[in-house]
Amino acid sequence: MAHIWPIGGGKGGSGKSFLASSLGRLLAKAGKKTLLIDLDLGAANLHTMVDVPYPDKCFSDFVSRKINLLEDTVLATPFPHLFLISGAHDSLDIANLSYEKKIKTLKSIAKLKYEHIILDLGAGTAINTLDFFLASGNGIFVTTPEPTSIENVYRLMRAIYLRRIRHYFTTDEFKALEKKVKELLGDDYFNKPENIVAVVRKEFPEKFALIRKDFNSFHFKLILNQLRKQDSVELGSQICKIIKKHLGLHVDFAGNIAYDEHVHDAICQRVSFLDRYPHTRAANDLRELNRKMSNSFGEQLILNYL
Amino acid sequence: MEKDFTRLNYYEMLDIKPNATALEIRVAYNSALQMYQPDSLVSYSFFSQKERKEILARLEKAYFTLINEKEREIYNGELVRAGVLKSTEISPAAKGLVSIFEFNRQKDTPGMPKIHSSELKEKFSQNQRIREIISRQEIKGADLKEIRNELGVTIETIHQQTKIRLDYLHWVEDDKTEKLPAAVFLKGFIKSYLKCLCIEPADEISARYMNSLEHKN
Ligand SMILES: Nc1ncnc2c1ncn2[C@@H]1O[C@H](COP(=O)(O)OP(=O)(O)OP(=O)(O)O)[C@@H](O)[C@H]1O
Ligand SMILES: [Mg+2]
Repeated sequence: MAHIWPIGGGKGGSGKSFLASSLGRLLAKAGKKTLLIDLDLGAANLHTMVDVPYPDKCFSDFVSRKINLLEDTVLATPFPHLFLISGAHDSLDIANLSYEKKIKTLKSIAKLKYEHIILDLGAGTAINTLDFFLASGNGIFVTTPEPTSIENVYRLMRAIYLRRIRHYFTTDEFKALEKKVKELLGDDYFNKPENIVAVVRKEFPEKFALIRKDFNSFHFKLILNQLRKQDSVELGSQICKIIKKHLGLHVDFAGNIAYDEHVHDAICQRVSFLDRYPHTRAANDLRELNRKMSNSFGEQLILNYL
Repeated sequence: MEKDFTRLNYYEMLDIKPNATALEIRVAYNSALQMYQPDSLVSYSFFSQKERKEILARLEKAYFTLINEKEREIYNGELVRAGVLKSTEISPAAKGLVSIFEFNRQKDTPGMPKIHSSELKEKFSQNQRIREIISRQEIKGADLKEIRNELGVTIETIHQQTKIRLDYLHWVEDDKTEKLPAAVFLKGFIKSYLKCLCIEPADEISARYMNSLEHKN
Protein backbone atom coordinates (compact mmCIF):
# COMPACT_ATOMS: atom_id res chain seq x y z
CA MET A 1 0.00 0.00 0.00
CA ALA A 2 1.15 3.52 -0.73
CA HIS A 3 2.63 5.80 1.89
CA ILE A 4 0.15 8.59 2.30
CA TRP A 5 1.37 12.02 3.36
CA PRO A 6 -1.40 14.51 4.05
CA ILE A 7 0.00 18.04 4.33
CA GLY A 8 -1.99 20.54 6.35
CA GLY A 9 -1.50 23.70 8.37
CA GLY A 10 -4.14 26.05 9.54
CA LYS A 11 -2.96 29.15 7.76
CA GLY A 12 -2.88 30.02 4.09
CA GLY A 13 0.46 30.87 2.56
CA SER A 14 2.55 28.89 5.02
CA GLY A 15 3.99 26.82 2.19
CA LYS A 16 1.93 23.64 2.07
CA SER A 17 1.77 23.52 -1.72
CA PHE A 18 5.41 24.46 -2.09
CA LEU A 19 6.40 21.67 0.30
CA ALA A 20 4.03 19.16 -1.29
CA SER A 21 5.50 19.80 -4.73
CA SER A 22 9.09 19.84 -3.46
CA LEU A 23 8.75 16.60 -1.53
CA GLY A 24 7.01 15.05 -4.52
CA ARG A 25 9.87 16.08 -6.76
CA LEU A 26 12.49 14.65 -4.42
CA LEU A 27 10.71 11.33 -4.01
CA ALA A 28 10.20 11.05 -7.78
CA LYS A 29 13.81 11.94 -8.39
CA ALA A 30 14.81 9.04 -6.17
CA GLY A 31 12.87 6.83 -8.57
CA LYS A 32 9.77 6.41 -6.43
CA LYS A 33 6.45 6.52 -8.20
CA THR A 34 4.76 9.47 -6.57
CA LEU A 35 1.33 11.04 -6.86
CA LEU A 36 0.36 14.53 -5.77
CA ILE A 37 -3.33 15.13 -5.08
CA ASP A 38 -4.54 18.70 -4.88
CA LEU A 39 -7.37 18.68 -2.37
CA ASP A 40 -7.25 22.40 -1.75
CA LEU A 41 -10.46 22.55 -3.74
CA GLY A 42 -11.57 26.06 -4.50
CA ALA A 43 -7.98 27.35 -4.28
CA ALA A 44 -6.07 24.70 -6.16
CA ASN A 45 -2.69 25.66 -7.60
CA LEU A 46 -0.49 22.61 -7.24
CA HIS A 47 -0.61 22.05 -11.01
CA THR A 48 1.17 25.38 -11.51
CA MET A 49 3.93 24.34 -9.13
CA VAL A 50 4.66 21.14 -11.05
CA ASP A 51 4.40 22.71 -14.46
CA VAL A 52 1.07 21.35 -15.66
CA PRO A 53 -0.41 24.69 -16.67
CA TYR A 54 -3.53 23.38 -18.43
CA PRO A 55 -4.75 20.22 -16.73
CA ASP A 56 -7.35 18.61 -19.00
CA LYS A 57 -9.02 16.61 -16.26
CA CYS A 58 -9.22 16.89 -12.55
CA PHE A 59 -10.61 15.66 -9.26
CA SER A 60 -14.06 17.18 -9.78
CA ASP A 61 -14.53 14.96 -12.84
CA PHE A 62 -14.40 12.04 -10.43
CA VAL A 63 -16.81 13.70 -8.01
CA SER A 64 -19.26 14.53 -10.82
CA ARG A 65 -18.88 10.98 -12.20
CA LYS A 66 -17.70 12.27 -15.53
CA ILE A 67 -14.76 9.98 -14.86
CA ASN A 68 -15.57 6.76 -13.06
CA LEU A 69 -12.25 5.72 -11.60
CA LEU A 70 -10.04 8.04 -9.57
CA GLU A 71 -6.94 6.62 -11.24
CA ASP A 72 -8.26 7.86 -14.60
CA THR A 73 -8.00 11.47 -13.42
CA VAL A 74 -4.24 11.13 -12.96
CA LEU A 75 -2.08 13.40 -15.12
CA ALA A 76 1.57 12.97 -16.04
CA THR A 77 3.93 15.84 -15.21
CA PRO A 78 7.12 16.82 -17.06
CA PHE A 79 9.07 15.01 -14.34
CA PRO A 80 9.63 11.26 -14.51
CA HIS A 81 7.76 9.26 -11.84
CA LEU A 82 5.79 12.31 -10.70
CA PHE A 83 2.03 12.35 -11.25
CA LEU A 84 -0.79 14.69 -10.36
CA ILE A 85 -4.48 14.75 -9.67
CA SER A 86 -5.31 18.38 -10.16
CA GLY A 87 -7.93 20.39 -8.35
CA ALA A 88 -7.86 23.11 -10.95
CA HIS A 89 -11.35 23.15 -12.38
CA ASP A 90 -13.11 22.61 -9.16
CA SER A 91 -15.87 25.04 -8.67
CA LEU A 92 -16.57 22.76 -5.76
CA ASP A 93 -15.25 23.80 -2.36
CA ILE A 94 -13.82 21.04 -0.17
CA ALA A 95 -16.32 21.89 2.56
CA ASN A 96 -19.16 20.90 0.20
CA LEU A 97 -17.91 17.47 -0.68
CA SER A 98 -20.63 15.11 0.53
CA TYR A 99 -19.93 12.40 3.06
CA GLU A 100 -20.49 9.60 0.54
CA LYS A 101 -18.18 11.20 -2.00
CA LYS A 102 -15.53 11.69 0.63
CA ILE A 103 -15.64 8.06 1.73
CA LYS A 104 -15.58 6.96 -1.88
CA THR A 105 -12.55 9.17 -2.50
CA LEU A 106 -10.69 7.89 0.56
CA LYS A 107 -11.33 4.29 -0.47
CA SER A 108 -10.15 5.02 -3.98
CA ILE A 109 -7.01 6.73 -2.75
CA ALA A 110 -6.18 3.70 -0.66
CA LYS A 111 -6.31 1.51 -3.77
CA LEU A 112 -4.09 3.65 -6.00
CA LYS A 113 -0.87 1.97 -7.05
CA TYR A 114 1.83 4.44 -6.11
CA GLU A 115 4.70 4.32 -3.66
CA HIS A 116 3.94 7.72 -2.25
CA ILE A 117 0.80 9.80 -2.30
CA ILE A 118 0.98 13.39 -1.09
CA LEU A 119 -2.22 15.23 -0.26
CA ASP A 120 -2.16 19.03 -0.41
CA LEU A 121 -4.95 20.06 1.91
CA GLY A 122 -5.27 23.80 1.95
CA ALA A 123 -5.97 26.03 4.91
CA GLY A 124 -8.74 25.90 7.45
CA THR A 125 -10.37 23.24 9.61
CA ALA A 126 -13.33 22.11 7.51
CA ILE A 127 -14.43 18.64 8.55
CA ASN A 128 -13.48 17.19 5.18
CA THR A 129 -10.01 18.65 5.51
CA LEU A 130 -9.71 16.98 8.92
CA ASP A 131 -10.83 13.63 7.55
CA PHE A 132 -8.36 13.76 4.68
CA PHE A 133 -5.64 14.68 7.13
CA LEU A 134 -6.62 11.62 9.14
CA ALA A 135 -6.44 9.43 6.05
CA SER A 136 -3.12 8.28 7.41
CA GLY A 137 -1.22 8.47 10.65
CA ASN A 138 1.60 10.31 8.89
CA GLY A 139 0.05 13.74 8.52
CA ILE A 140 2.42 16.68 8.22
CA PHE A 141 1.70 20.03 9.80
CA VAL A 142 3.25 23.12 8.26
CA THR A 143 3.63 26.44 9.99
CA THR A 144 5.79 29.53 9.73
CA PRO A 145 7.38 31.06 12.85
CA GLU A 146 4.71 33.77 13.04
CA PRO A 147 2.26 33.82 15.95
CA THR A 148 -0.72 33.88 13.57
CA SER A 149 0.46 30.78 11.76
CA ILE A 150 1.28 28.97 14.99
CA GLU A 151 -2.10 29.90 16.38
CA ASN A 152 -3.77 28.35 13.34
CA VAL A 153 -1.72 25.20 13.42
CA TYR A 154 -2.67 24.69 17.07
CA ARG A 155 -6.28 25.17 16.08
CA LEU A 156 -5.90 22.58 13.35
CA MET A 157 -4.24 20.13 15.73
CA ARG A 158 -7.01 20.52 18.26
CA ALA A 159 -9.65 20.16 15.56
CA ILE A 160 -8.05 16.94 14.34
CA TYR A 161 -7.79 15.70 17.88
CA LEU A 162 -11.46 16.37 18.53
CA ARG A 163 -12.47 14.87 15.19
CA ARG A 164 -10.66 11.67 16.06
CA ILE A 165 -12.33 11.43 19.44
CA ARG A 166 -15.68 12.06 17.82
CA HIS A 167 -15.05 9.04 15.64
CA TYR A 168 -15.40 6.73 18.64
CA PHE A 169 -18.85 7.91 19.61
CA THR A 170 -22.27 7.58 18.09
CA THR A 171 -24.17 10.83 17.68
CA ASP A 172 -26.16 10.21 20.84
CA GLU A 173 -23.17 9.16 22.87
CA PHE A 174 -21.30 12.22 21.77
CA LYS A 175 -24.17 14.45 22.76
CA ALA A 176 -24.15 12.85 26.18
CA LEU A 177 -20.44 13.42 26.41
CA GLU A 178 -20.79 17.05 25.38
CA LYS A 179 -23.40 17.56 28.03
CA LYS A 180 -21.24 15.98 30.68
CA VAL A 181 -18.26 18.11 29.68
CA LYS A 182 -20.36 21.25 29.76
CA GLU A 183 -21.54 20.35 33.23
CA LEU A 184 -18.07 19.77 34.54
CA LEU A 185 -16.05 22.35 32.68
CA GLY A 186 -18.32 25.13 31.55
CA ASP A 187 -19.18 26.51 28.16
CA ASP A 188 -15.97 27.08 26.27
CA TYR A 189 -14.82 23.48 26.65
CA PHE A 190 -14.79 22.76 22.93
CA ASN A 191 -11.88 25.13 22.42
CA LYS A 192 -9.84 22.75 24.49
CA PRO A 193 -10.54 19.16 23.44
CA GLU A 194 -7.80 17.99 25.78
CA ASN A 195 -10.22 18.70 28.60
CA ILE A 196 -12.77 16.39 27.04
CA VAL A 197 -10.38 13.51 27.29
CA ALA A 198 -10.27 13.86 31.06
CA VAL A 199 -14.02 13.34 31.05
CA VAL A 200 -13.83 10.43 28.61
CA ARG A 201 -11.24 8.82 30.86
CA LYS A 202 -13.62 8.96 33.76
CA GLU A 203 -16.98 8.31 32.13
CA PHE A 204 -16.07 6.01 29.21
CA PRO A 205 -12.95 4.13 30.31
CA GLU A 206 -13.20 1.47 27.58
CA LYS A 207 -13.42 4.12 24.86
CA PHE A 208 -10.57 5.98 26.47
CA ALA A 209 -8.38 2.90 26.13
CA LEU A 210 -9.19 2.66 22.42
CA ILE A 211 -8.58 6.34 21.80
CA ARG A 212 -5.30 6.23 23.62
CA LYS A 213 -4.12 3.28 21.60
CA ASP A 214 -5.16 5.08 18.45
CA PHE A 215 -3.38 8.32 19.33
CA ASN A 216 -0.23 6.48 20.28
CA SER A 217 -0.04 4.98 16.81
CA PHE A 218 0.12 8.37 15.06
CA HIS A 219 3.36 9.61 13.59
CA PHE A 220 2.44 13.17 12.83
CA LYS A 221 5.17 15.56 11.80
CA LEU A 222 5.78 19.26 11.99
CA ILE A 223 7.69 21.36 9.49
CA LEU A 224 8.65 24.92 10.25
CA ASN A 225 8.81 26.79 6.97
CA GLN A 226 10.17 30.21 6.05
CA LEU A 227 12.58 30.47 8.97
CA ARG A 228 14.59 33.67 8.87
CA LYS A 229 17.94 34.29 10.49
CA GLN A 230 16.52 35.95 13.54
CA ASP A 231 14.01 33.16 14.28
CA SER A 232 14.69 30.61 16.96
CA VAL A 233 15.75 27.22 15.62
CA GLU A 234 14.30 25.69 18.77
CA LEU A 235 10.77 26.78 18.01
CA GLY A 236 9.72 23.61 16.21
CA SER A 237 10.82 21.24 18.92
CA GLN A 238 9.27 23.47 21.55
CA ILE A 239 5.92 23.37 19.75
CA CYS A 240 6.11 19.59 19.68
CA LYS A 241 6.93 19.54 23.36
CA ILE A 242 3.90 21.64 24.26
CA ILE A 243 1.68 19.47 22.06
CA LYS A 244 2.94 16.31 23.68
CA LYS A 245 2.72 17.58 27.23
CA HIS A 246 -0.61 19.32 27.04
CA LEU A 247 -2.48 17.67 24.19
CA GLY A 248 -0.92 14.23 24.41
CA LEU A 249 -0.32 14.14 20.66
CA HIS A 250 3.00 12.81 19.41
CA VAL A 251 4.21 15.13 16.70
CA ASP A 252 7.80 14.71 15.57
CA PHE A 253 9.63 17.81 14.60
CA ALA A 254 10.77 17.09 11.05
CA GLY A 255 12.88 20.18 10.48
CA ASN A 256 13.25 23.83 9.58
CA ILE A 257 13.13 25.15 6.02
CA ALA A 258 14.93 28.43 5.57
CA TYR A 259 13.21 31.45 4.09
CA ASP A 260 14.64 32.11 0.65
CA GLU A 261 13.80 34.83 -1.86
CA HIS A 262 14.56 32.38 -4.64
CA VAL A 263 11.43 30.40 -3.83
CA HIS A 264 9.41 33.33 -5.01
CA ASP A 265 11.58 33.70 -8.11
CA ALA A 266 11.23 30.03 -9.01
CA ILE A 267 7.45 30.08 -8.56
CA CYS A 268 7.16 33.21 -10.70
CA GLN A 269 9.23 31.62 -13.45
CA ARG A 270 7.21 28.42 -12.99
CA VAL A 271 10.36 26.35 -12.72
CA SER A 272 11.29 23.89 -10.01
CA PHE A 273 13.03 25.64 -7.16
CA LEU A 274 15.13 22.56 -6.46
CA ASP A 275 16.41 22.38 -10.02
CA ARG A 276 16.89 26.09 -10.53
CA TYR A 277 18.51 26.90 -7.15
CA PRO A 278 19.92 23.60 -5.85
CA HIS A 279 22.70 25.16 -3.81
CA THR A 280 20.66 27.37 -1.56
CA ARG A 281 20.06 26.86 2.12
CA ALA A 282 16.36 26.16 1.56
CA ALA A 283 17.14 23.49 -1.06
CA ASN A 284 19.53 21.83 1.37
CA ASP A 285 16.88 21.90 4.06
CA LEU A 286 14.37 20.27 1.72
CA ARG A 287 16.73 17.47 0.79
CA GLU A 288 17.56 16.90 4.45
CA LEU A 289 13.86 16.82 5.28
CA ASN A 290 13.18 14.31 2.55
CA ARG A 291 16.00 12.10 3.72
CA LYS A 292 14.75 12.15 7.29
CA MET A 293 11.18 11.40 6.32
CA SER A 294 12.11 8.58 4.00
CA ASN A 295 13.70 6.92 7.00
CA SER A 296 10.67 7.20 9.18
CA PHE A 297 7.69 5.71 7.45
CA GLY A 298 5.28 4.86 10.16
CA GLU A 299 2.90 2.01 9.93
CA GLN A 300 0.37 2.85 7.23
CA LEU A 301 -3.12 3.15 8.41
CA ILE A 302 -5.97 4.21 6.33
CA LEU A 303 -8.13 5.01 9.22
CA ASN A 304 -11.30 3.09 9.75
CA TYR A 305 -13.07 4.00 6.57
CA LEU A 306 -12.52 0.76 4.77
CA MET B 1 -2.03 10.41 25.18
CA GLU B 2 -0.41 10.81 28.51
CA LYS B 3 -0.99 12.24 31.88
CA ASP B 4 -2.61 15.54 32.44
CA PHE B 5 -0.03 18.25 33.12
CA THR B 6 -1.48 18.69 36.59
CA ARG B 7 -0.73 15.07 37.37
CA LEU B 8 2.90 15.16 36.38
CA ASN B 9 5.40 14.99 39.18
CA TYR B 10 7.96 17.76 39.45
CA TYR B 11 10.60 15.83 37.56
CA GLU B 12 8.26 15.06 34.69
CA MET B 13 7.06 18.63 34.67
CA LEU B 14 10.60 19.89 34.15
CA ASP B 15 11.64 17.00 31.89
CA ILE B 16 14.50 15.90 34.11
CA LYS B 17 15.59 12.66 35.70
CA PRO B 18 14.98 12.07 39.39
CA ASN B 19 18.72 12.25 40.01
CA ALA B 20 19.19 15.58 38.22
CA THR B 21 21.80 17.91 39.62
CA ALA B 22 21.02 21.40 40.83
CA LEU B 23 22.48 22.79 37.63
CA GLU B 24 20.28 20.56 35.48
CA ILE B 25 17.26 21.63 37.46
CA ARG B 26 18.05 25.28 36.83
CA VAL B 27 18.66 24.81 33.15
CA ALA B 28 15.41 22.87 32.85
CA TYR B 29 13.51 25.54 34.73
CA ASN B 30 14.99 28.23 32.52
CA SER B 31 13.96 26.49 29.35
CA ALA B 32 10.49 25.83 30.75
CA LEU B 33 10.15 29.52 31.52
CA GLN B 34 11.07 30.35 27.97
CA MET B 35 8.20 28.22 26.75
CA TYR B 36 5.55 29.30 29.18
CA GLN B 37 6.15 33.00 29.66
CA PRO B 38 3.40 35.30 28.43
CA ASP B 39 5.35 36.59 25.45
CA SER B 40 6.61 33.20 24.36
CA LEU B 41 5.84 32.57 20.71
CA VAL B 42 5.41 28.86 21.40
CA SER B 43 2.65 29.03 23.95
CA TYR B 44 1.15 32.43 23.36
CA SER B 45 -1.98 31.17 21.61
CA PHE B 46 -2.06 27.79 23.28
CA PHE B 47 -3.11 28.75 26.79
CA SER B 48 -5.54 31.16 28.33
CA GLN B 49 -4.08 33.67 30.74
CA LYS B 50 -5.47 31.74 33.64
CA GLU B 51 -3.99 28.45 32.50
CA ARG B 52 -0.63 30.06 31.95
CA LYS B 53 -0.63 31.53 35.41
CA GLU B 54 -1.40 28.15 36.92
CA ILE B 55 1.32 26.44 34.94
CA LEU B 56 3.91 29.05 35.85
CA ALA B 57 2.94 28.73 39.51
CA ARG B 58 3.30 24.95 39.33
CA LEU B 59 6.66 25.16 37.64
CA GLU B 60 7.86 27.59 40.23
CA LYS B 61 6.73 25.32 43.01
CA ALA B 62 8.50 22.41 41.35
CA TYR B 63 11.67 24.42 40.96
CA PHE B 64 11.78 25.67 44.53
CA THR B 65 11.07 22.26 45.93
CA LEU B 66 13.73 20.51 43.90
CA ILE B 67 16.39 23.16 44.27
CA ASN B 68 16.13 23.05 48.03
CA GLU B 69 17.90 20.00 49.36
CA LYS B 70 15.71 19.44 52.38
CA GLU B 71 12.45 19.97 50.57
CA ARG B 72 13.58 17.78 47.74
CA GLU B 73 14.32 14.97 50.15
CA ILE B 74 10.87 15.24 51.66
CA TYR B 75 9.29 15.35 48.23
CA ASN B 76 11.30 12.36 47.03
CA GLY B 77 10.16 10.49 50.11
CA GLU B 78 6.57 11.17 49.16
CA LEU B 79 7.13 9.91 45.63
CA VAL B 80 8.81 6.77 46.90
CA ARG B 81 6.00 6.06 49.33
CA ALA B 82 3.45 6.59 46.57
CA GLY B 83 5.35 4.06 44.48
CA VAL B 84 6.14 6.59 41.74
CA LEU B 85 9.88 6.43 42.26
CA LYS B 86 12.26 3.76 43.45
CA SER B 87 14.68 4.91 46.09
CA THR B 88 17.52 3.71 43.86
CA GLU B 89 16.53 6.20 41.17
CA ILE B 90 17.34 9.08 43.41
CA SER B 91 21.03 9.63 43.41
CA PRO B 92 22.55 10.41 46.81
CA ALA B 93 24.83 12.83 44.95
CA ALA B 94 22.03 15.18 44.12
CA LYS B 95 23.83 17.68 46.29
CA GLY B 96 26.37 20.22 45.24
CA LEU B 97 26.90 23.87 45.86
CA VAL B 98 24.00 26.08 45.07
CA SER B 99 25.19 29.46 44.02
CA ILE B 100 23.31 32.64 44.52
CA PHE B 101 23.62 33.63 40.93
CA GLU B 102 22.06 31.52 38.27
CA PHE B 103 24.32 29.66 35.98
CA ASN B 104 22.87 30.08 32.54
CA ARG B 105 24.86 29.03 29.54
CA GLN B 106 22.39 30.26 27.02
CA LYS B 107 22.92 33.79 25.94
CA ASP B 108 20.03 36.00 25.08
CA THR B 109 17.58 33.48 23.84
CA PRO B 110 15.25 34.53 21.09
CA GLY B 111 11.70 34.48 22.31
CA MET B 112 12.68 35.82 25.68
CA PRO B 113 11.04 39.08 26.52
CA LYS B 114 13.58 41.83 26.31
CA ILE B 115 13.43 44.85 28.48
CA HIS B 116 13.38 47.98 26.39
CA SER B 117 14.99 50.60 28.52
CA SER B 118 13.67 53.57 26.58
CA GLU B 119 10.13 52.30 27.02
CA LEU B 120 10.67 51.67 30.72
CA LYS B 121 12.20 55.09 31.25
CA GLU B 122 9.25 56.70 29.64
CA LYS B 123 6.77 54.72 31.71
CA PHE B 124 8.82 55.51 34.78
CA SER B 125 8.82 59.24 34.13
CA GLN B 126 5.09 59.31 33.50
CA ASN B 127 3.89 57.11 36.31
CA GLN B 128 2.68 59.14 39.29
CA ARG B 129 2.46 56.15 41.57
CA ILE B 130 6.07 55.16 41.03
CA ARG B 131 7.31 58.68 41.58
CA GLU B 132 5.38 58.81 44.78
CA ILE B 133 6.89 55.53 46.01
CA ILE B 134 10.48 56.39 45.31
CA SER B 135 10.19 59.77 46.96
CA ARG B 136 9.52 58.08 50.30
CA GLN B 137 12.17 57.80 52.98
CA GLU B 138 11.33 54.20 53.71
CA ILE B 139 11.40 51.66 50.90
CA LYS B 140 10.37 48.04 51.37
CA GLY B 141 10.29 44.95 49.23
CA ALA B 142 6.56 45.37 48.73
CA ASP B 143 7.27 48.80 47.22
CA LEU B 144 9.71 47.33 44.75
CA LYS B 145 7.11 44.77 43.79
CA GLU B 146 4.55 47.47 43.22
CA ILE B 147 6.94 49.43 41.01
CA ARG B 148 7.71 46.33 39.02
CA ASN B 149 4.03 45.61 38.52
CA GLU B 150 3.35 49.20 37.51
CA LEU B 151 6.02 48.83 34.86
CA GLY B 152 4.53 45.52 33.72
CA VAL B 153 7.72 43.49 34.06
CA THR B 154 7.44 39.90 35.32
CA ILE B 155 9.60 38.64 38.13
CA GLU B 156 10.86 35.92 35.79
CA THR B 157 12.19 38.57 33.45
CA ILE B 158 14.12 40.21 36.24
CA HIS B 159 15.41 36.83 37.22
CA GLN B 160 16.55 36.16 33.65
CA GLN B 161 18.19 39.51 33.23
CA THR B 162 19.92 39.85 36.58
CA LYS B 163 20.58 36.13 37.10
CA ILE B 164 19.47 36.55 40.68
CA ARG B 165 17.73 33.45 41.92
CA LEU B 166 13.96 33.60 41.78
CA ASP B 167 13.54 32.57 45.39
CA TYR B 168 15.69 35.49 46.51
CA LEU B 169 13.65 37.83 44.35
CA HIS B 170 10.46 36.56 45.92
CA TRP B 171 11.87 36.85 49.42
CA VAL B 172 12.88 40.42 48.73
CA GLU B 173 9.51 41.38 47.31
CA ASP B 174 7.60 39.62 50.06
CA ASP B 175 9.82 41.14 52.76
CA LYS B 176 10.80 37.75 54.13
CA THR B 177 13.68 39.45 55.87
CA GLU B 178 14.74 36.41 57.84
CA LYS B 179 15.57 34.56 54.62
CA LEU B 180 17.53 37.30 52.90
CA PRO B 181 21.26 36.96 52.31
CA ALA B 182 23.94 39.01 54.05
CA ALA B 183 23.77 42.76 53.59
CA VAL B 184 26.70 43.01 51.19
CA PHE B 185 24.99 40.68 48.73
CA LEU B 186 21.57 42.06 49.30
CA LYS B 187 22.58 45.59 48.46
CA GLY B 188 24.04 44.41 45.18
CA PHE B 189 20.83 42.57 44.36
CA ILE B 190 18.66 45.57 45.03
CA LYS B 191 20.84 47.68 42.82
CA SER B 192 20.71 45.19 39.94
CA TYR B 193 16.97 44.89 40.42
CA LEU B 194 16.50 48.66 40.19
CA LYS B 195 18.86 49.02 37.24
CA CYS B 196 17.04 46.26 35.46
CA LEU B 197 13.86 48.32 35.77
CA CYS B 198 15.74 51.50 34.81
CA ILE B 199 14.90 53.09 38.15
CA GLU B 200 17.36 55.84 39.00
CA PRO B 201 19.22 56.71 41.10
CA ALA B 202 19.75 53.04 41.90
CA ASP B 203 22.56 53.65 44.41
CA GLU B 204 20.61 56.02 46.50
CA ILE B 205 17.36 54.06 46.45
CA SER B 206 19.05 50.79 47.35
CA ALA B 207 20.74 52.59 50.27
CA ARG B 208 17.33 53.71 51.48
CA TYR B 209 16.04 50.16 51.17
CA MET B 210 18.96 48.89 53.27
CA ASN B 211 18.37 51.58 55.88
CA SER B 212 14.72 50.74 56.15
CA LEU B 213 15.65 47.12 56.66
CA GLU B 214 18.05 47.96 59.48
CA HIS B 215 15.44 50.07 61.20
CA LYS B 216 13.05 47.22 61.13
CA ASN B 217 15.44 44.76 62.75
N1 LIG C 1 10.83 28.52 2.24
C1 LIG C 1 10.29 29.60 1.64
N2 LIG C 1 11.04 30.71 1.44
C2 LIG C 1 10.51 31.79 0.84
N3 LIG C 1 9.25 31.87 0.41
C3 LIG C 1 8.46 30.80 0.59
C4 LIG C 1 8.92 29.61 1.20
N4 LIG C 1 7.90 28.73 1.22
C5 LIG C 1 6.85 29.35 0.66
N5 LIG C 1 7.17 30.59 0.27
C6 LIG C 1 6.30 31.60 -0.36
O1 LIG C 1 5.03 31.51 0.20
C7 LIG C 1 4.06 31.50 -0.82
C8 LIG C 1 2.91 30.61 -0.43
O2 LIG C 1 3.31 29.26 -0.48
P1 LIG C 1 2.27 28.12 -0.80
O3 LIG C 1 1.42 28.48 -1.95
O4 LIG C 1 3.01 26.83 -0.83
O5 LIG C 1 1.39 28.21 0.54
P2 LIG C 1 0.11 27.33 0.94
O6 LIG C 1 0.30 26.98 2.36
O7 LIG C 1 -0.09 26.22 -0.02
O8 LIG C 1 -1.04 28.41 0.80
P3 LIG C 1 -2.62 28.12 0.56
O9 LIG C 1 -3.19 27.68 1.86
O10 LIG C 1 -3.15 29.46 0.18
O11 LIG C 1 -2.73 27.10 -0.51
C9 LIG C 1 4.78 31.02 -2.06
O12 LIG C 1 4.25 31.63 -3.17
C10 LIG C 1 6.20 31.42 -1.84
O13 LIG C 1 6.45 32.66 -2.46
MG1 LIG D 1 -1.67 25.76 -1.40
